[in-house]
Amino acid sequence: MVKTPLFKSLPSRDRTAAKKLVAPAVIGIWIVILFPLLYALYVSFHDWILSQGKIGEVNFSNYITVLKDPLLLNAAKNTILLTVSVVVLEIAIGFGLALLLNNKRIRLRNLYLFILLVPMLMPPITVGLIWRLLLHPDLGIINYMLSLVGLPQPIWLADPVLAMITIIIVDVWHETSFIILVLLAGLTSLPDEMYEAAMIDGASAWQKFKFVTLPLMAPTILVATIIRMIAALKTYDLVYILTRGGPGISTETISYYIYKVFFVFLDMGKSSAMAFILLAIIILMTLILMRVMRTAEQ
Amino acid sequence: MLAKFRRNYGITISHIILIISSLAILLPILWVIRTSLANRLIAYKIPPVWFFKPTLDNYLTIFAKYPFQEYFVNSLVISGIASIVALIIGSLAAYSIARFKTGDPWLRLSMLSTQMLPPIALVIPIFLLMRVIQMWDTLPGLVLAYLSFNLPYTVWILIGFFQSIPVEIEEAAMIDGCSRLQALLRVIFPVALPGLLSAGVFNFILNWNEFLFALILTGRNTRTLPVAIASLWTQQGVNIGAVSAATVVTILPVVILTYVIQKSLVRNLTFGSVK
Repeated sequence: MVKTPLFKSLPSRDRTAAKKLVAPAVIGIWIVILFPLLYALYVSFHDWILSQGKIGEVNFSNYITVLKDPLLLNAAKNTILLTVSVVVLEIAIGFGLALLLNNKRIRLRNLYLFILLVPMLMPPITVGLIWRLLLHPDLGIINYMLSLVGLPQPIWLADPVLAMITIIIVDVWHETSFIILVLLAGLTSLPDEMYEAAMIDGASAWQKFKFVTLPLMAPTILVATIIRMIAALKTYDLVYILTRGGPGISTETISYYIYKVFFVFLDMGKSSAMAFILLAIIILMTLILMRVMRTAEQ
Repeated sequence: MLAKFRRNYGITISHIILIISSLAILLPILWVIRTSLANRLIAYKIPPVWFFKPTLDNYLTIFAKYPFQEYFVNSLVISGIASIVALIIGSLAAYSIARFKTGDPWLRLSMLSTQMLPPIALVIPIFLLMRVIQMWDTLPGLVLAYLSFNLPYTVWILIGFFQSIPVEIEEAAMIDGCSRLQALLRVIFPVALPGLLSAGVFNFILNWNEFLFALILTGRNTRTLPVAIASLWTQQGVNIGAVSAATVVTILPVVILTYVIQKSLVRNLTFGSVK
């Protein structure tokens, strides 16, 4: 990043101007983020079932009750399973495809790249709908294709294990584009000199990858991992459109379970408490990955 | 000879992998486009009919039977206004932070940290508050909710843009007799325009795709496209053709807009952490 020199001695007129310029944004963020969050914190320490009217008694044990809730534990397990699966698969597939697309001797690279980037900006809801159409047990094209080659035709979203696998596959279909784009941008900005030096030293393709590409790409890969992990921990849309958390509760993620406690059971206190627990999980996981990143850099 | 063979072998395998991956992306999308152009009879047929006369009936259905033009306009207005408001407020703040280090480093970092906030944590209190001030199911209500992610993003990404503009341009303008505000409006903003545009378009796309806020904060009056198509599935079973047509209508604007910002896509998507 280009560092611009600061105005050396800021006249007080400019200092007030600077404050006036940030004021609308700061006030805006107070209104739309901080105030609602503080209110949610307040609600999370109260009993409040919306259908029973106004906010109820102060209740400091909401968090304890919620942490003992086996359904939240189930949702947490599903969320972690989903997050780890999609991040690992997307990084692996995305890095592989980015490496292929970075080879200048591959013709039509730009066409491939263009096609592979299409899913990235599609709304998650439409991605889920498309796959529901394709996977429909009676009307879907995928089961028809399977029947042609004599394979069994599962009811994809009705089986607990298959439903989770389906969500993972659809997420990989949707989000790998992002990894390809980011890692390819990283690859194209690697310095050529390192590769020339490696070539002079007689390094094989594998050695070049292991000793030049991988170490230089590590920071970019970690950034991509952090961004994807944060997003995957919040997964809601795909679950809503594909399975509604079912069959049973086998694909309920934390976000989806919170939504259910909030919007179906109308329990404001508990759902708010759970939302803060989810936030804590996200912050914790991000800090761990950032620590890994810092030690890797040293 | 052997080396050359091995090299070509590698290229061929690369092409095979890339072609398979491309087909995995393209075929589902093409299938939905195909279904959106089929009439009711053909859409449901398994084994599928491969060649048929395309019809626009499904598109007419979603606009005539369900008021998709209303949802489309709702999406357009809400996404557009939120991203413009975020751009105006956010660019001023970003300029101030970039030039004067206002509130450094806390203000800057707090913008980034909002990325970790799960939408469900915000939507609960926002829903409760909007019920009280009677902004539930109103356009301004959803616009305000969208500012919760548009605003921090805009500020954060534009700080980088303003920092990359040399101070000298501005100083020269001020020596020539511009006030700071004039320098900002006449010199800096025009130079920063590509950055402003790409941040605005990116916000628009985020808003257009957003589902959870829209699901909870909209009702009959303000339903947006993602909420409308999600409900299309449950109503009276599935009308495959209509769902497909609605999907195409929802995706199309995003694909077109992506062209506008393709150069800065990486920066936008990664919150500026990879350039």
